[in-house]
Amino acid sequence: MPGTPLELNFVVRRAAQELFSGAVVALGPGLPCRLPSELINGSGVWLVSDSGFLGFQGPDTDAADQERQPVMLLPGGAYTGVVDIAGILRGGHTDVAFLQPAQVAANGDFVHWTTGATQGLFAPGPAVDMAYGASKVVAVTTHQRLDGKSNIVEKCSLPVDGAGQVDIIITDVAVMNAGPDGLELVEIAPGWTAEEVVAITDAPLTVSSGLKEMTFQVPTLEMPNKVYPNAVEALNDVPEGSTINVDGFAGPGGMAHYLMVGLRDLGVKGLKLISNTAGVARVSAFGAPNVIDHSILVENNQVAKATASYPVSPSASRPSAFEEAYNRGETELEVVPQGTLAERLRCGGAGVAAFYTPTGAGTLLAEGKEARNIGGKDYILEMGLRADYCIIRGHKADTLGNVVYKGTSRNFNPVMATTARITVVEVDEIVEPGQLGPEEIVTPGLYIDRIVLRPPDFSAYL
Amino acid sequence: MTSAPENTPAEGKVYPSALAALEGIADGASVLVAGWSGSGEPEKLLRGLAETGVSGLTLICQGAWVPEAGVFGVGDLVAGGQVKKMVSPMPFDPEHGGPVKDLWQSGELELEVVPQGVLAERLRAGGAGIGGVFLPTGARTRFAEGKELRPFNGKEHVLEFALKADFALLRAKAADTLGNMVYEGTGRNWNPTMAMAAAVVVAEVDEVREPGGIDPELVITQAIFIDRLVLSS
Repeated sequence: MPGTPLELNFVVRRAAQELFSGAVVALGPGLPCRLPSELINGSGVWLVSDSGFLGFQGPDTDAADQERQPVMLLPGGAYTGVVDIAGILRGGHTDVAFLQPAQVAANGDFVHWTTGATQGLFAPGPAVDMAYGASKVVAVTTHQRLDGKSNIVEKCSLPVDGAGQVDIIITDVAVMNAGPDGLELVEIAPGWTAEEVVAITDAPLTVSSGLKEMTFQVPTLEMPNKVYPNAVEALNDVPEGSTINVDGFAGPGGMAHYLMVGLRDLGVKGLKLISNTAGVARVSAFGAPNVIDHSILVENNQVAKATASYPVSPSASRPSAFEEAYNRGETELEVVPQGTLAERLRCGGAGVAAFYTPTGAGTLLAEGKEARNIGGKDYILEMGLRADYCIIRGHKADTLGNVVYKGTSRNFNPVMATTARITVVEVDEIVEPGQLGPEEIVTPGLYIDRIVLRPPDFSAYL
Repeated sequence: MTSAPENTPAEGKVYPSALAALEGIADGASVLVAGWSGSGEPEKLLRGLAETGVSGLTLICQGAWVPEAGVFGVGDLVAGGQVKKMVSPMPFDPEHGGPVKDLWQSGELELEVVPQGVLAERLRAGGAGIGGVFLPTGARTRFAEGKELRPFNGKEHVLEFALKADFALLRAKAADTLGNMVYEGTGRNWNPTMAMAAAVVVAEVDEVREPGGIDPELVITQAIFIDRLVLSS
């Protein structure tokens, strides 16, 4: 006689062990929505609600999660729109997604529970985005249905909502890895034997040599410290040849001058800059002191390539440092129209591999690119753009990394913040979580890895 | 496509009633409706749409769950028979059903069900002038059926085309008379994207302020996207 299946709270607690400090976590409807109430103080991870908010715990009456349970924003939580949520889910920003499938197959295929409940109607909600976007997809379900049939199957009997997407299955009797190699039983509930679990599973199940008993300790999680003492410390792991996104229109606004000086002081070579300009210092100031910009890296022989929309000086007689380096054959250049640059970055950050844009169709900019007529209009295919590092200029950040900007500094910074493996922000002021309002946060902290305070006496001018 | 009126009223973009703000909507129109399955929907505009009596509508929205008692929601509009088709990621509450489920089952309502992020991205593309996007979402499932597939970075992607509509019905907390808008809480979810993706964009707001009454750093939907405003009460 097998043991008793676990109470669902225990399943959820075991699921919580898949979390880690600072993880970005998406919750599908059903059992996953019980997770927030099991987390200690709800903090230590970014919970993403597809209905438009980040960083929450219950209960409150102003916002509703997937299950329509009242929830409450934590200090540092923010409201956002569905298109940004889609980008967070799909763009490589979500570490773990929890779903409750109606069926999950050995190879990781799954049928979302709403599909089962609506008998053939496809009601994916955000589940498909979560499944295809998250780094790790955890299926949380009862092992068997009320009629005794297994929810874990060799092949799904209904059309799937995700093909090969589930990585781990946590049920009320076991934990299994799913994937191309089939199911592996790695943990069993107390009182159960591997044979008993195999007997009620409707799919071949390999028993791991390291089979363990499930535990239910919810981990204590803390948001990692993101505040670095200075620009050099925040950038000292930038390897040679890195791609770096940096804001920068012609004026001083929006540019992370202090981080730029840090990069210069580190002297790291072979950098590929993605930016609106490639530096206009010495040409835009016309007698005024020169503003710190890309030019300090170019002059220090650190730049191998620029991807930019304004790579040259507006004055032929006053070439920029980049122009001179390019003319000497020391740098490469990729010229991209400004809106295409913005869109490529947005797509890179939001997990859109490529897009058809009308900009530049029929011109030199379209050369070597796929052309396509859609609905009577000519488009060209452009690729999403990502970077290794991004240095951005905010006005204020809280210690979780939520950022607000000032004036036109907003231009490229928020979109660039979504595109890099490591995003570093320089701000005038660092505040505690909750001091930036959830309605005013422009860049949610989940995009930000490192924060540095721009010293109050720092000058943006050389 | 319906176009915005040539002469805006003296009160800027503020219209006296929902019916007036929906002028020009015709049978067969496609309509984006903001809100989240029964909450945060533009109720006054939905009532106005019912009052116009137009039929054969295609609604594009999150879904039609049963709203609070006494509230007129997307489901009520569908129940009235004016809607031919709904495009939605979660058309009805899977546990409680409702008019959308009933009419779909009786064959009177067509449903096109799309993953939420795909719908958001298609509308964003429509609003931003992008013709189509390659997304990883739904590869090797029915959501990719009949669509062009292409590998990028070793992963299969699905070509999804931009989506635009004739009208968008939005719900915001406040607008200035120019149409700059702010939302409250999760009211933000579909509104900013839908605001960019329709020929005529109508917003129902709780409050209208003079220009300058909304901090420029806090504006979420810029005035250029908004054609008509109506007060919610």
